[in-house]
Amino acid sequence: MNNLIYPFAHLLGGVILICAFALLSQRRLAAMITLYQFEAMTLTAAAFWQGYAQHELALYLTGGITLIIKAIALPVGLRRIVKNFNITRAVETAMPVGLSMILGVGLIGVAVWVVLPTTMNAVTLTREDLAISLSVVLLGLLVMTTRRNALSQVIGFLSTENGLVLAAIGMPGMPFVAELSVALLVLMAFLVVGVFLFRIREHFDNLDIAGIESIEKQGR
Amino acid sequence: MVCYSRVVNQYLALSIGLPGHGFHLAHDPLALLFLAILAPQIIATGLGPDRKSVAYWFFIAGMVLTVLAAEAFTLLLGFELMSAASWLLVLRGDRKPATLYAGIAMFSGACLLPALFIPPGGIAFSLILLGAGAKAGLAPLHAWLPRAHPAPSAGVSALMSGGMVKVALYILIRYGFIVLGAAAQPWWGTALIIAGSASVLIGSLRAMLEVELKTILACSTVEHVGLIAVGLGIALRAKALDDPSLAALALQGALLCAIAHGLFKPLLFLGAGAVKHATGTSSLDWLGGLIRGMPKLGGLMLAGCFGMAALPLGPGFAPEFLLLHAVINAAGTGEIIARIGFTALLAILGLSAALALGAAVRIIGIGFLGRPRSLRAAAAEEAEQPVLFGMGLLGILCIPVALFPGLILLLLNPVINQLIPGAAQTPLGYAPAPLATLLLLAAGATYAALKRYGTKAEREVHAFNGGFGKPPAWLPFGDPVTQATGTGFAEPIQRVLGVAILGVKTIDPGELYVLDPLRRLNVQFTRAAERVRRATIRQRLAFVFAALVLFLAALGFVQGA
Repeated sequence: MNNLIYPFAHLLGGVILICAFALLSQRRLAAMITLYQFEAMTLTAAAFWQGYAQHELALYLTGGITLIIKAIALPVGLRRIVKNFNITRAVETAMPVGLSMILGVGLIGVAVWVVLPTTMNAVTLTREDLAISLSVVLLGLLVMTTRRNALSQVIGFLSTENGLVLAAIGMPGMPFVAELSVALLVLMAFLVVGVFLFRIREHFDNLDIAGIESIEKQGR
Repeated sequence: MVCYSRVVNQYLALSIGLPGHGFHLAHDPLALLFLAILAPQIIATGLGPDRKSVAYWFFIAGMVLTVLAAEAFTLLLGFELMSAASWLLVLRGDRKPATLYAGIAMFSGACLLPALFIPPGGIAFSLILLGAGAKAGLAPLHAWLPRAHPAPSAGVSALMSGGMVKVALYILIRYGFIVLGAAAQPWWGTALIIAGSASVLIGSLRAMLEVELKTILACSTVEHVGLIAVGLGIALRAKALDDPSLAALALQGALLCAIAHGLFKPLLFLGAGAVKHATGTSSLDWLGGLIRGMPKLGGLMLAGCFGMAALPLGPGFAPEFLLLHAVINAAGTGEIIARIGFTALLAILGLSAALALGAAVRIIGIGFLGRPRSLRAAAAEEAEQPVLFGMGLLGILCIPVALFPGLILLLLNPVINQLIPGAAQTPLGYAPAPLATLLLLAAGATYAALKRYGTKAEREVHAFNGGFGKPPAWLPFGDPVTQATGTGFAEPIQRVLGVAILGVKTIDPGELYVLDPLRRLNVQFTRAAERVRRATIRQRLAFVFAALVLFLAALGFVQGA
């Protein structure tokens, strides 16, 4: 079993990366939520696996939290929002999908380029895990910047957070992993609640600058 | 502070200022010379109404503090105090020039601040030259001066033109010759000479073409600052090339020019203020015939213009004489390019002397002689007593400079020894006092001879009178349009030289090539800032994201290398 630790962790990391990449290419909201759910489930599995490998109870806890909140509660909530707001088909990208895919590949390259030389002295598992998590973080940020729809941006942000948690659990001896994931979750929850429950803005693009513009016109 | 060494070891430490630091004041011959240049102006302008303003006294305090500073911090503090106070005074006159002036003052401060604290060398001197040069109105950073100097009241204008530019030049001398003196390179002097000669040319030409009396005087200030800079540049270059006698000669010219300019320019500015007070305008095109209404002021202005035109027996002649000598000496030595350059400089100085004479003639001829061009000019009354008194003081002080320049040069010897150790003092080859005595004798003899032997018979001839018609009955002061205006007087010069140097629209090159590009840059920056401000949250996110990726890539690049 011991010689399976590395390949399996690597496999799970790779699946998460593929999910993050697929998020980038997916135009429809419902599919994006499904992809995010799958990503969260894989993260759960990865957390459990690392818990098993490192004999760390906190990682099981992290895995449990991830499963309950990210893989079940959040997607359900998001689907409900989509249904309520009737934006099932409302996915517009600010950038052609092909171009964003190319950028994504470039970002993965940057992540590998940065992480591998920087962590020359660390164990192999950590290094590649770090490269994968940094790629996931960057891809999530790219999703945020290439989408106009607030919900897609939130999903990108959630994916970014998944990348962070993946980095945290892959690090042997990393303290406060569970606390970190809970803290990040609270942040996520606030964002989602803030955007949709209080309906701050349907689109981040439409910042309320109408007042400022009228003042400017008077100034001209 | 480390790089600031004084010849004198004793200094006065005041306990005010920075906590635990205070001001350090000291005096040496150079500082005393500049104090002596400032003193008469301060007295003369302090007699006027400006003494009631607090900013005026702060302005003076800043100038004195700069000159007496014994270390860089005090120097800079005095300089900034002077800038800020004079900005307030300019602001009281006009808003737009004040803004321009504030920008230039900040630029000077920003250049001087690092320059005073970095080790001696070419960079330090370049920064000093930029900072002090911008404040003194050296080309190409001179375009603000003809706008800002005429804006405040006459006394402040006088002090700015006569005193403040001298303080800026004082910093240039203090650092170029003393503090950075050990590291001096010939190109420092060359840069000063080039900037100075451009100032001389543009300043004298604009002084000839402008219509506003105070603007004319400000342009003439640019010219004189250029003359001083040329002298300083030759001295600095000669010092670096190990030719102390030439350096001393050029320095004599520059310092004497600073003294003379510090006397006649405040006088003229005070007079211009009095003219504006009496007639409500200082535009030459609305003046004329003032010498009948205000004879004392007219006489004093004539004396000032005598100095400004650098006529023989006037205060401005001896410095120009010395400068020309220095340029001729410099043109006689060195390699071929330097010789050609100094010969060209000689031509520029000659041209500028002619133009300065034209400008002086224009001020007197259009403004004070002829017929009044407006009713207010016709009804002008003599200036108030304090103004006349201040101008008179400056005028009297002009006399020793004009008639006994040799004596003044003797007094300058300690300064020159301080700046150029081991310099041989060349005696002045120009003795105006005997010359004046001879001229006076000749004139008296001619007068006596005419009185004794001249015929008393009268003969009536028809006078051509320069195209002047007899005044019509309904126009008691004559028809104003039959006289040449200030613009018309300058027209030939404008056609011949103005078009060639300033272009058809007579725009100052400093304005065209320095201020206008800066304005355009400002607009572009504003637009860019506006675009950033209007960016959507997604664009800002993308920007931050791009920056992050860039940093990561740079990190990877560094690690990989």
